[in-house]
Amino acid sequence: MADNSLARGRMSGPSSAVAVFGRNWAIFFLLIMIVVFFFTGKNFLTISNVQTILYSATTSLLLAFAETFVIIARGIDLSVGYVMGFSTIVCAGVIRDLYAAQFGVHWPAGVAIALGIAAGLAASVACGLASGILVARFRVPPFIATLGVLGVAYGITLHMSDGGFPIAFLPNVLTQIGNGYVYYYNPALHAYSFFAPPLGTTAAQIKDVVRLVPNVLLLIVVFLVVLWHLLKNTRFGQHTYAIGGSIDAAVRAGIDTRKHLVRVYVLSAVLAGLAGIVWVFQTGQGNFVPMGSNLELFAIAAVIIGGASLNGGKGRIVASLVGVFIISVMDNGLTLSGVETFFRYVATGVILIVAIVVDQLFPDLF
Amino acid sequence: MIQRSGFATFVGQRWALLFLGLELVVFSIVGQGFFSLNGAQIVLFYGTSLFLLATAETFVIVTGGIDLSVGFMMGFSTIVSAMLVAALAKAGMAPSTAIVLTIAATLAIGLLPGLLSGFLVGRLRVPPFLATFGTGGIVYGTSLLLNSGNEVKNVPDLANVIGNSYFLYWAPGKGFSFFTRPEVARGTRVIEMIPSMLVVTAVVVIVAAFILHRTRFGRHTYAIGGNEDAAVRAGINIRRHYLAVYTLSAFFASLAGVIFMLEYITGKAEAGVSFLLDAIVGVVIGGASLYGGAGTVWGTVLGCLILSVLETGLRMAGVPTFDKFIAVGLILIFAVLIDQFFPELIHKED
Repeated sequence: MADNSLARGRMSGPSSAVAVFGRNWAIFFLLIMIVVFFFTGKNFLTISNVQTILYSATTSLLLAFAETFVIIARGIDLSVGYVMGFSTIVCAGVIRDLYAAQFGVHWPAGVAIALGIAAGLAASVACGLASGILVARFRVPPFIATLGVLGVAYGITLHMSDGGFPIAFLPNVLTQIGNGYVYYYNPALHAYSFFAPPLGTTAAQIKDVVRLVPNVLLLIVVFLVVLWHLLKNTRFGQHTYAIGGSIDAAVRAGIDTRKHLVRVYVLSAVLAGLAGIVWVFQTGQGNFVPMGSNLELFAIAAVIIGGASLNGGKGRIVASLVGVFIISVMDNGLTLSGVETFFRYVATGVILIVAIVVDQLFPDLF
Repeated sequence: MIQRSGFATFVGQRWALLFLGLELVVFSIVGQGFFSLNGAQIVLFYGTSLFLLATAETFVIVTGGIDLSVGFMMGFSTIVSAMLVAALAKAGMAPSTAIVLTIAATLAIGLLPGLLSGFLVGRLRVPPFLATFGTGGIVYGTSLLLNSGNEVKNVPDLANVIGNSYFLYWAPGKGFSFFTRPEVARGTRVIEMIPSMLVVTAVVVIVAAFILHRTRFGRHTYAIGGNEDAAVRAGINIRRHYLAVYTLSAFFASLAGVIFMLEYITGKAEAGVSFLLDAIVGVVIGGASLYGGAGTVWGTVLGCLILSVLETGLRMAGVPTFDKFIAVGLILIFAVLIDQFFPELIHKED
């Protein structure tokens, strides 16, 4: 695990302080940004705003996690944003049709939702299998393979949604879960409850109810821990680093690289599909992801800002998390500071370039 | 090498051309009005932006890079040119002078993002994928900022007249004229042939092909894409060359933007976004390799023709246009698979 020891920094750098800063510049940058926005942004460092940032970063996080595995294996997955849209439409479509067919009368609505989730995941597994087989078996460059899958997935998405109309008339319970919080406290009643406002909360009191820990935060934490463990402590993770470091060496070490690469692309697509399902829960409808929203590019940017290399073999889940938060904190902080959101694109571009230039100038730091 | 029959070789080498032929036959049968002068002109008119962006992408892909910013640079150029021409016309300048000045200024401003990408790739050794994505973000953000995210309106009518004119007008039995509609009685049938902007595009593409295939600059581009280290040892200044290639790409993208502004008399930041995928796919179908060193402008033209015939043909056949994406994705995968299965066929000439 040469990669991990590199990432841990067990090596002689120029000076230890510079090395520590260079290795962790992303997290320092995030902290500096938080301090700056604390002074410039209105209500930036409040519980509700922090929860807003976490809430709106959920899908970006899942996409960035997906991209992390692929990039470590020295690939790239351009299709994540579109696989997300595909899974959204499939999931929402199945739920709508089952729900409309009075499914909830005979079985609980939960069955329709579970089937919808399963359908969305199946759709994304299909995309991942296609990319993975093209890359691993037919040696198609990942860029092109996932570009092709992107086109097909996007076309099917538009076809199923009649050209991009949102799929509506879904059960309300979706948004109750997706936009709910774990802990509610009603100061008027001195009552607290979990997963729903306390009984007896009136419409007038609802705006004073204290909400803590968005449900999606639980999901983020679960995935963060599971994927961190998968990448760091399992054979799957080791093989991913090995393939990214040198595929020839990985083959000689007896790794079935074909099978492993297929698994990596399927994992990436499943995480993207999960992002799409979360999106259904958050919005309460099936909105496809339009071309030009560049979700995949923001995900790749986050992973690279986090210190991964497009040359493979480098990257960490937690670093990708920091990368995502740099983009979403910047987005949120600039908005609250009264800066026009258009700067988001400019700022992401600049930070991305700075990240790579730092990486290029001080390769031994990472 | 496995010996393949003559027929397989024939098909393998020319599958793109054969596919284009097949498309033309199928759409002529199922598409209403596809097999006509107008149909052909619509195909090519849709293609103007695509041809230019794909030509830009060809140069970059031949060096082994990729330019993700072409669509954003095109949008930037539509915004800049539309705002400039509207401002100049408002300031009382004659529309013709304003348009000429605007085109010159926009093409000059449009080089800036290319210089930035080229500097990042050539000097700072940033992977092209990321350098151009960063540049693209900056350019897109800037074009949104310039007009607060709105489309630019109030472009003088003369732009429309220029952008949607034709090279040749032919009134049967009454003579013909170039670029301007002949002075004939109202209601006389005038056949319009070859959009002027297509002529501009064709000239630019031919010049690009000349640069890539016939000049030292072109040979150096192939050399860098084939093997960068060897190119350095051969004495090629790769820093300067990358700068030139990415600036050239920016130039073509800006030109596509100016032409878009003249055709649609509007400036919008998203103008080129949907062409990015098509441009890359067009180049790859045309036989270029993303690993660099292979690809021709003529191959790119063929690839783009396949895409624009597909787009227009599907529309004329009454198929929802978004089904195009499925077809484009499948063709792309098909193209690469052919490339993988018959490597010795495709790269024989390289």
